[in-house]
Amino acid sequence: MRTASIALAIALIISLGTLATAHHSAAAQDFSKRVEMQGVVKSWEIMNPHGKLVIQYTDPKGTRAIEFETHSRNNVYRAGYRDGMIKAGDKIKVFVAPNRDGSDGGYLVAFETAAGERVGLDASQR
Amino acid sequence: MLRRSGIFLPAFAAIALAAVALAQTPSTRTPDLTGVWTTYRAPAGQAQGRGGGGGRGAQAELPLRPEARAKVQEYQKLVTGTGDTPGGYCLGTGMPGSMMGSGGYPMEIIQRPDQITIIYEAHNEIRRVYFGNRVIPEKDRLSERNGYSIGRWEGETLVVETTKLKEQVDQRYPHSDQARIVERYTLSEEDGRKVLTAQMTLTDPAFYTAPVSETKRWSIVPNGFLMTYECNEPAWTKRLEELRAKSSQSTK
Repeated sequence: MRTASIALAIALIISLGTLATAHHSAAAQDFSKRVEMQGVVKSWEIMNPHGKLVIQYTDPKGTRAIEFETHSRNNVYRAGYRDGMIKAGDKIKVFVAPNRDGSDGGYLVAFETAAGERVGLDASQR
Repeated sequence: MLRRSGIFLPAFAAIALAAVALAQTPSTRTPDLTGVWTTYRAPAGQAQGRGGGGGRGAQAELPLRPEARAKVQEYQKLVTGTGDTPGGYCLGTGMPGSMMGSGGYPMEIIQRPDQITIIYEAHNEIRRVYFGNRVIPEKDRLSERNGYSIGRWEGETLVVETTKLKEQVDQRYPHSDQARIVERYTLSEEDGRKVLTAQMTLTDPAFYTAPVSETKRWSIVPNGFLMTYECNEPAWTKRLEELRAKSSQSTK
């Protein structure tokens, strides 16, 4: 399961290298890296040109809200997302291209819901 | 003699009418480009090949004139580090960016004999390619980011000429309002799957010392569909929230 998630996230990072530049410069994020985090959904906006996920996250630095930008509504849909899959209060695992400056946040390239549904970007379906 | 003419005249008229009808319908050899297309991907086990994916690989330095290069650099200096792009502001890519793939999203082609409509999913960007009587006089055309496109068939190749473009320095191929873009579309088949090859040449003496070209390939998506691409909805929602906040303040 974990191996599959990692493979998915890596595939996403590779495919997003092209797509992320479509609407927004991805220069602030390092798409050669991937960070896996678990938290609780605070808000989820699926929209164009980019979606936004905010999670409540806890680590040794403390508990805080972290915001991630993600792909367009259309590409998230094509990656397998359907209405209702993410709700505030849900646990979620995210795979992120981290910010280059080390600050919280980054570009969400894949996620796994508490129900085990994984959403990533499958390049062959674009 | 009169009787013989009476036989031949209707026959001649029928042949003439058939010829006119034939001239008005597209040649049987005219390819049908109608369908949903996505960025080409080589069949499993085959190399992708240059221009196949339409991705943003390393781009050779463009033969820009110094004054054009200065304009592009000024633009790049403005946006560098901001993450800002036209798409981030819900603005369509414009030509030639739109025909080169528009962010990796699919496109739909709807073909009629007198007009080909190309819908790029990203930003619901639409191009219309006009033929014959659908072409309006030059003085009646307005400048646009996608310009004004006129099509013709050269055998089985669709040739599209686009002019009346706005100057755009926010393009992968920046250009002036004097730019002329010629696209040549050819249809082929690979493993039983339609492949559309679009070869683009941009000529712009005001910006370039030589024409620039690139090839983009598309694969058909059987029974594919485009999604609506609403982009301004968040801005509208935000504006309503601002108005609500203002309204609640004024009623206090």
